Formats: sequence, C-alpha cells, structure tokens
Amino acid sequence: MMMECKGLTKWFGAKKAIEDLTLNLDKGKIYGLLGENGSGKTTWMKMAAGLTKPSRGEILYEGHPLCYQDKAEIAYMSTEPFFYDFMNVADVGTYYGDFFSDFDSERYTEMTEAMGLTREMKVRNLSSGMNAKLKIAATLARDAKLCLLDEPLNGIDYKAREEIIELIIRAADENKTFVISTHLLEEIESFIEYAVFIREGRLVDKVNLESERMKTGRSLTDIYVDIM
Amino acid sequence: MAKLIKYEMRKQRTSRMVILIGLLVGVIAYCLSILTGNINMTAVIIGLGVCAALLVFFYTGIESILVLNRDLKTKQSYMLWMLPKSIWEILGAKFISALLQMAIVYAAFCIAVGIGCLGAVIRFEGVQALADMFQRASEVFVRGGVNWTDLVWLAVYIFIAWSQVIMIGFLAVVMSRTILLRSRFAGFLSVILFFVIDFVIAFGSDLMYRLPWLADFAGSPRINIWDGIYYLVTAVILFLVSGVLADKKLSV
Repeated sequence: MMMECKGLTKWFGAKKAIEDLTLNLDKGKIYGLLGENGSGKTTWMKMAAGLTKPSRGEILYEGHPLCYQDKAEIAYMSTEPFFYDFMNVADVGTYYGDFFSDFDSERYTEMTEAMGLTREMKVRNLSSGMNAKLKIAATLARDAKLCLLDEPLNGIDYKAREEIIELIIRAADENKTFVISTHLLEEIESFIEYAVFIREGRLVDKVNLESERMKTGRSLTDIYVDIM
Repeated sequence: MAKLIKYEMRKQRTSRMVILIGLLVGVIAYCLSILTGNINMTAVIIGLGVCAALLVFFYTGIESILVLNRDLKTKQSYMLWMLPKSIWEILGAKFISALLQMAIVYAAFCIAVGIGCLGAVIRFEGVQALADMFQRASEVFVRGGVNWTDLVWLAVYIFIAWSQVIMIGFLAVVMSRTILLRSRFAGFLSVILFFVIDFVIAFGSDLMYRLPWLADFAGSPRINIWDGIYYLVTAVILFLVSGVLADKKLSV
C-alpha cells in the first residue's frame, strides 16, 4: 500500500471540507479523483501532500505516519500558480533541482521547451495557460513515487493536453502512483485505472474502471452521472 | 538549510537593493555638498539620512516577519511547505536570513557613516587632521581606553533582544494564520497578537525582577545579564512554540 487515509476530517472554521474519509492508494496505479467543485478534492490532495493538516484522522505513507521526509517522494501540483514572483522558468528548474533529488533538469528543459516556455520567461508575466504548463513540467520532471496532480489539464490547450497525458502515461510504472483530480472525464478515461468519487467531503465510491467496463460497459461519464 | 537561506535572501533582494541604492545616492549627495561647501545642503542630507536610517533599521528588523506573513498568505507558501524540509529548517532559515539582511544593511550604513566622517574631516581639516585622528584613536585602543567587554556585551544584548522581537513576530504570524487561515483579518490579528505576546513577555520580565535575589538588578542602567538570559530563553521558547504550532496545526 502506498498511502492509507484513515477517517480524515478537515474543518475550515465552521465548514467541514472533508468528513471521515477513508481511502487507500496502491502502488503503481493511476487514480482519477472526481467530484463537483467544493467537494473536497483539493483539500484531500493538500493533506496527502502534507500541506494541510487533518483536523482528525491519520495518513500513512508506506506504512508510517506521513512526515516531512516523505515529501521527497511525493510530487504535488496545485491548481493555482504558486511559484515565487521573482523567478523565471530557469529559476523554477533550479529551485526544484536544489530541493528534490529525483528532479531531472534535462527532462525539465525538454518539457518546457516543448511547451513553448523559454528559460528567461518571468513567472509573473506568464499567462494562466503557460503557468499551468510550467507547473506540470516542474512536477513531472520529478521521478516521484506519488504524484498528486490537481486539475493538471485546466487552462491548457488541446495539443498540450495530449502531450501531458502522454507524459503521465510514459512516467507511470508499477512503482509510481498518480492521483489526478479533474472535471475532464473524457480526457482521463483512457488511462486511469480507478475513479474515486468524492461528494461533500465524503468518499462516495472507488470504482475499478476496467472491471466496471467488463461488467456493465458503462463509460466513466455514465458512472459519474449515476453516482454523483 | 543553506539553500533555503539562499531563497529567503532572494525574497528580500529588492528591498535590500532599494536601500543600498538609496544609501549610495545619499552618500554621493553628501560628498558633493561638502565638496562644494554647501553647508545647508549638508545639514538637510544629514537630517534626511538620520530619518531614513531610523525607518530602514525598523523595516529591516521586521522584514522577515512581513515575508513570513506574505508566504503564508499566498499560494507561494507551497514553495516552502512542499519541500522535504523540517519546520525547524524553514523557520531557522528565515531567522538566519533576517539576521544576514540586517547585518548587510547595517554594515552598509556603518560604512556610509564612516565615509561621511572621513570626507568631512578631509574637506574641513585636511589630510593631516585625518592622520592625527587615526593616531589618537589607535593610541586610545592600545592604552585600553575602549571597554571591549562592554561593547561585546552590548552587541550580544542587542542581538538577543532583536532575535526575541523576530520570534514574537514569527509566533504571532503563525498563530494568526493557523486560526484565521487566509482571512483578510489574519494580518491585523498578527499585529494584535504581536503586542499581546510582547506584553506577556514584558510582564514575565517584571515578575522575574520581583524575585528577591534579582530585585537589585531591576532598573539598572548598565547592561543586565539577567535581561539577556531572559530574552534568550523567551526567544528559544517562542521559536519552539512557533515550530510545533506550524508543524502540527498550520495548513497552507
């Protein structure tokens, strides 16, 4: 087991963002994290990445309570831009290289160039689409065991989306786990293995797509509509 | 931790450059005024320089607290909190970079004052007067006219006292961001908490001097070792509380 989340609850003031959520992630699988806006997907991801502390419950990473050292093996890409304003594209690569031993600078350079980002481009001047490409390049240039991608395809043009999906499929192997939060069901249906449905902070269902297809022939969109 | 310090210093680079460039302009203007013998202009520059120095010293002293607040207020906090670094390294790097920033700025001001004094002596008294001044100063040093022990203690005392101020700021920011997260009132709460914590620490100091064996030290005009010890202990406690709170409760 890569990660076990046991009875996670997260309060933000009086609002309960996650409620008693228990979810296990296996090694080498690709999960789609699905739910409506405000359902708690981002909060769960941030807790799994160690950025947000659960109000109650426990997260185990490879059998032990999640701690800061585990962040060396967990890559997280938030949905919002988060790089320092003073950085340019090259600085982002240097930053990741400085702190993550699994970061591949050459791969990062290849990916940024393929996405039309030049080294000198300032982060603060990037459009939201370009910023999204930069985030995905920095995150996927890491050889992380657990990769948490929060809406990685948002704001990205069709061609780049295909490239990103290709990168994810290429990076996936039996030792790496991907969790991808998205609303673009058709885009991820072809490569995710499990769909995790969250509603109002609760885990509604975890569906093995391959067996579901074999059993009922339903598409991911059909399952989503039925469940949610 | 060195890499964390590198990026913390980078965050403060703009303000550092503005201060240093402003200082350079001030020194050049001062030198021009004494070269041209324009005493009025010299007086104005010295007056402005003193005011600017006070502002800069205060701002530089609290800049690291403002940077921590900005880090936690924005999504840029992920840049720190996603790293495989302990909270002690992150807060420690912030503290060390705060000290480095102050050291750089204060050293630049000392050099500027030195240049100003040298320029004035050379312009109005001549090079010989400058040589005489250095000779007299070296004689004072050699004869032991300077109390180095007191000077070192004063430096240590100021360092510890200001460290405590930074630690109060760190705790106030971490507490407010833990309680209010990204609320627009979190910054205001930080300020309130800063003064509350400062008041509690000052109250603790008063209580300490009510102890019979310390009462004689209260209100002493000389540098008081018990003040130094108290500031040091409280700074360490504040750092530990900030770290534990950030580690266990803070969500970014």
